[in-house]
Amino acid sequence: MYPRPIPENARLQRALYVGGVSLVVLLWLLPLLAVMLTSIRSNEELMAGNYWGWPQKFSMVENYTAVFEQTAMLRFFLNSLLITIPSVVGVLALSTLTGFVLSRYPFRGSNLIFALFVGGNFLPAQIMMIPVRDLMVRLGLYDTVYALIIFHIAFQTGFATLFMRNFIAALPGELFQAARAEGASPFQILRHVVVPLVRPALAALAILTFTFVWNDYFWAIVLTQSDAVKPVTAGLNNLRGEWTSAWNIVSAATIFVALPPVVMFFLMQKHFVAGLTMGAVKG
Amino acid sequence: MSSVELRKVDKHYVGYHALQVIDLKIEKGEFVVMVGPSGCGKSTLLRTIAGIETISSGQILINGRDVTREEPGDRGIAMVFQSYALYPHMTVAENMGFGLRMANRPKAEIDAAVRRAAQILRLEEQLTKRPKQLSGGQRQRVAIGRAITRSPEVFLFDEPLSNLDAALRTQMRVELSSLHAQLGSTMIYVTHDQVEAMTMADRIVVLNKGRIEQVGSPLELYANPANIFVAGFLGAPRMNFIEATVAAVDASGVSVMAAGLPTLTFGGVEASGLSAGDAVTVGIRPENLRVVDKTGADMPAFPGQVRLVEQLGRETILYLDASPLQATNSDSGTGNFTLQLNKVSTLRTGAVLEVGFEIGEAYLFGPDGRTLTPRKGIA
Amino acid sequence: MSRFWRRNRHWLTPVLFLLPGLILFGSVILAASVETIWISLHAWDGIGQKTWVGLANYLELADDPQFYVSLKNNVIWLLIFMLAPPVGLALALIVNQQIRGMRILKSLFFIPLVLATVTVGVVFGWVYDPNFGLLQLFFGVFGSTAPALLSDENFVTFAVAAAGLWPQIAFCMVLFLAGLNNLNDDLIAAGRVDGARGWRMLRHVVLPQLSQVGFIAIAVTVIGALRSFDMVAVMTNGGPYGSSTVLAYQMYEESIFSYRFGYGAAIATVLFVIMIAFIAWYLHGLVKAERSNA
Repeated sequence: MYPRPIPENARLQRALYVGGVSLVVLLWLLPLLAVMLTSIRSNEELMAGNYWGWPQKFSMVENYTAVFEQTAMLRFFLNSLLITIPSVVGVLALSTLTGFVLSRYPFRGSNLIFALFVGGNFLPAQIMMIPVRDLMVRLGLYDTVYALIIFHIAFQTGFATLFMRNFIAALPGELFQAARAEGASPFQILRHVVVPLVRPALAALAILTFTFVWNDYFWAIVLTQSDAVKPVTAGLNNLRGEWTSAWNIVSAATIFVALPPVVMFFLMQKHFVAGLTMGAVKG
Repeated sequence: MSSVELRKVDKHYVGYHALQVIDLKIEKGEFVVMVGPSGCGKSTLLRTIAGIETISSGQILINGRDVTREEPGDRGIAMVFQSYALYPHMTVAENMGFGLRMANRPKAEIDAAVRRAAQILRLEEQLTKRPKQLSGGQRQRVAIGRAITRSPEVFLFDEPLSNLDAALRTQMRVELSSLHAQLGSTMIYVTHDQVEAMTMADRIVVLNKGRIEQVGSPLELYANPANIFVAGFLGAPRMNFIEATVAAVDASGVSVMAAGLPTLTFGGVEASGLSAGDAVTVGIRPENLRVVDKTGADMPAFPGQVRLVEQLGRETILYLDASPLQATNSDSGTGNFTLQLNKVSTLRTGAVLEVGFEIGEAYLFGPDGRTLTPRKGIA
Repeated sequence: MSRFWRRNRHWLTPVLFLLPGLILFGSVILAASVETIWISLHAWDGIGQKTWVGLANYLELADDPQFYVSLKNNVIWLLIFMLAPPVGLALALIVNQQIRGMRILKSLFFIPLVLATVTVGVVFGWVYDPNFGLLQLFFGVFGSTAPALLSDENFVTFAVAAAGLWPQIAFCMVLFLAGLNNLNDDLIAAGRVDGARGWRMLRHVVLPQLSQVGFIAIAVTVIGALRSFDMVAVMTNGGPYGSSTVLAYQMYEESIFSYRFGYGAAIATVLFVIMIAFIAWYLHGLVKAERSNA
């Protein structure tokens, strides 16, 4: 361990240390806390200039109700779910297949294909914006959730393939040879050996992909227009334009948008961190 | 009809010849052990028989059927891996029945086969456990059980005991031998451990650099190694080798000289192509060297000083400095001679003694490494 | 048929497995990226016919003052983002203690990482607000007024990039924590026996073991800085007067708002070329690392 662990019997020192770090966390999250605080403040109070003092009146219920009733946020939220969930499922399915093949069936050119998946994953979104938008227009999918689903599956498959390939490649090779020696077909190996063994990787990948897709803003504004299909990120930005002075409502909407990934993160924290580091470190 | 037949099996990667024209016939029910130093191609050869690795040219026949292009699962083989390769997400029973399940056999048949294998290997109690809950020896038995349930024509073992500790290894060796007796199946077993080879094999195949050096029964190989490689590979401690020069070739035999040693005359040597001045090697196994009286010089002898004494209880190993006479390729890597006494010895480091050997127990290897001395009887 | 399948399934099945992902990724991502280069050689309004103009878009770009503003701003982003690896490492060192309560604090540090950039943009828009923002609060303590960062041409890019730094630091922190977890305990112990401690331990024993993670953190940060778009779009729309645009944003604006898709494609291509250089460097480094591990 580095830095040297503070001894367990140094109770005071440990308590002070945790206190100090808590203070740093508080500073670190201060911007977010400010927004949270504003989201439960009444508009009158904001008008009166009480931005930082203790709220005299808690308007949390009113503000969040306003977000649901007076804005399209609920619709956007639903759209985000409609986009994100199929995207995650699609990415998991495709990348399990590609990762399996690229890790266990070396052939001439397999490294090149792998490099394309990895390299493409780092391309700036702008480089493919015009043709992808054009493609979706021509397919009649522009301004539908399908445009975003197809794009996200395609794009995230790059990273996910890297991730799954590395995970499957790290499994003991003799497991796969044993399955072959026992007459399992590639499909049977996939079903009975690969899928059960990659479950932890799939969990990590699911939470990562969920976060990436849910948080996407660029493609949301490039591929959608109408409120009926727009995801929360694009919706939130619009909302901010419309409700300029109602910071309490905007703040409540902001927290609402941030909630799903943050909740997912706390539920599957181990997988998230493992996934992020495995994806970056091993890849 | 042989159980397994290899015809001119050849495999090369770019810039590396892994298997060089291997020809081998293995009879039904035989226990054949392939040994050799690491990188000799023994595992590769086993994997080509399994079909896990392809070959560049040649043919592989199992029960007379050409399986060269067949998938591993269709060849009628079962393989036991060094790491056991048990599926961590399956129970012992599921692991053992996996192959039959893949072949879509009826459940009753799978259960029966698993139960039978579990009974043979005393795994009945473990059937619902996962591999993680088992000891190393139990895992090893599950891996073997998985092979048994498929009732294959040929069992292939890839260094299956190398992950076990010494005591368990001895026990599993015995169990495998009795399993072979019980099932009567053909078994091909790869190991780098010569004790496993000597104790388990009907026949040993010694491999080196992708080539077969010699095939034969364990004692045959020990008594009559075909060449200097086999002589040096089998036997622990290793055979002592002395570099020598041919002095004369005549009717009585071949006389060779080495600095520090009287002229040695080997009778009955097939001496064609050998002439005076050729570099040859004399080999003597450590158990054939003995401590002699200085007076009783009725055998070739040389003086030596004890450098190190290893007391193994039942026997004693002495490392001797006998300069100017030098041992080459010795175990200790020092040029010291190794001498094995089958008793406890009181000799200490620094002791000076006279060492001799029977000429009939020594080997002579030609310039190309082939054994020149006549066949020795197997006791 | 079934005989053919049985004989050949061992290679046919993998091909079938690979195809869906490969086709989708190839046709949507890779083909589109290449097509952009082709489009950059045309004048195109996004709807009508493309007209071949050769390198005219690039020549125009070379004389476009806005392009140099974007380029300069990208460099500013890059420089500011370079703070992320060291700060991330520092935070990782701070929280790398096994004390009750530390785990939850650690997770709280990661939160900015899972927030959408739009969320971060809104949050920092609030921080920078000259009337009541967090910044004003601090300046107020000293009795002065905070500058209106987002409407000041000289500060705006720094302000936006600083906001983008927030999640990036958290990312680097995650990476370094993983690196610290993988430290070779024997080496640390050997260092302690040899009398190294504190800074010297960090410098001579710990950092060398973190070099691979550090490389990745830097690479990911560079790519993140070059890719920056969301924050600019959300916080300033490139303003005031185009002073906070970056290449990615300028490209978007030219295409979507000015219907100059050929020109936008040319900007994207320039960004692409800069990026390719980094990606190549990154992949090269990874391959080298993988080789040395093998």
